[in-house]
Amino acid sequence: MCLGIPMQIKQIDGYNANCEAKGVERQVSLFMMQHEPLKMGDYVLVHVGYAIQKITSQEYHSTWEIYDEIL
Amino acid sequence: MKPNFTSHDAKFWLQQIQTLKLTKPVKIMNVCGGHERSISQAGLRSILPEAISLIPGPGCPVCVCPEEDIYEAIQLALNETITLVAFGDMLRVPVNLPKNEIRSLEQARSAGADIRPIASPMEAVEIAEQIDKPVVFFAAGFETTILPVISMLVQGVPDNLLVLMSGRLTWPAVAMLLDSGEPGFDTLIAPGHVSTVMGPEEWEFVPAKHHIPAAVAGFSPESLLAAFYSTLRQLQDNKCFLDNCYPEVVTHGGNATGKQHLAQVTDIVDANWRGVGIIPKSGFALKKTYANHDARVCLPSYADPERKRLGKMPAGCGCAKVVLGKIYPNECKLYGKCTPREPIGPCMVSDEGACRIWWSNGQR
Repeated sequence: MCLGIPMQIKQIDGYNANCEAKGVERQVSLFMMQHEPLKMGDYVLVHVGYAIQKITSQEYHSTWEIYDEIL
Repeated sequence: MKPNFTSHDAKFWLQQIQTLKLTKPVKIMNVCGGHERSISQAGLRSILPEAISLIPGPGCPVCVCPEEDIYEAIQLALNETITLVAFGDMLRVPVNLPKNEIRSLEQARSAGADIRPIASPMEAVEIAEQIDKPVVFFAAGFETTILPVISMLVQGVPDNLLVLMSGRLTWPAVAMLLDSGEPGFDTLIAPGHVSTVMGPEEWEFVPAKHHIPAAVAGFSPESLLAAFYSTLRQLQDNKCFLDNCYPEVVTHGGNATGKQHLAQVTDIVDANWRGVGIIPKSGFALKKTYANHDARVCLPSYADPERKRLGKMPAGCGCAKVVLGKIYPNECKLYGKCTPREPIGPCMVSDEGACRIWWSNGQR
């Protein structure tokens, strides 16, 4: 349950966002990110469907490099 | 000068560790199933100097979920006209009942109970919106999972969505080990995503109060090796502090919105950990203001204090010792008889259980 999935925001509608990673799109809640302004193109760490932290593009790519090896 | 955590590879950190002059064996404990999975899958145990032992500690919320809470969830699903939803890991965890009785949520589902695995609190809301009967969300997990559950409640849910809260805080289990006087470890790797949401400051008591070196780590071999090096270096220099080897994600204060929701919705209470017992101030409970969404308030209780082996691990199972880092998974006498296909103890069920991680990585 504790694996965080790095995703990129494609579209924002209120507290909901359409996010994408590795060609897979998911609805993600931004409700826990009200302290952090987010926009299309930003990267977030997603846990059980909720964005819990904004991350950089570099962190997004380096995390997926690791996941591609271990998952 | 302090090395930059994000600009060095695993080889660099391994070389740094090899330059340290360790005068005695060192036990490094992690308290996160994700850390243990990365350690096992990357084979980090085999490349470190022999003097270093990596101990998986209390990092699996499914493993410590109270046996009586799982029993309660099973009985609610079997006896009440409800739909029960839970994270998939919880469905196969057995309780201590005779084999001819229904011992897991999975078996209850086979017997006709409406039980559905979910991957997100948002799915619980969607299910509740689609049906008329009560939907009970059996919410077990550590802080990283429980904060989204709480935020779901703050955002607003249908009247028929009830939460059977079984969430736990990670740090009190480590505090309990340290307060026991026999923690079984010399340095601590603090969990990356728990620290992301709660803030790394939660772990400052480890060096400050107990003089144990600590470092927050991410999930890459680089970040884990950097954290090992940091705590070993602290030990060598006799200078303890909380280091952050996952600074790109873990920032001061944690997730401000999530923590605000947590304070609004939950009280922190003494709570039972399966096979371990009561740990003070280690559980989340819904405040009275959320009683209309509290399954424990809105539905009959099936708690049975007379039930045999209540709260215990299955007979012969070493999960309690594994969870506390007292034994390695393969030191349990059931290891091998207990497998992911036919689990006896919860540590072999969950993806975050040390036994399942070790077995899945070929450790025998």
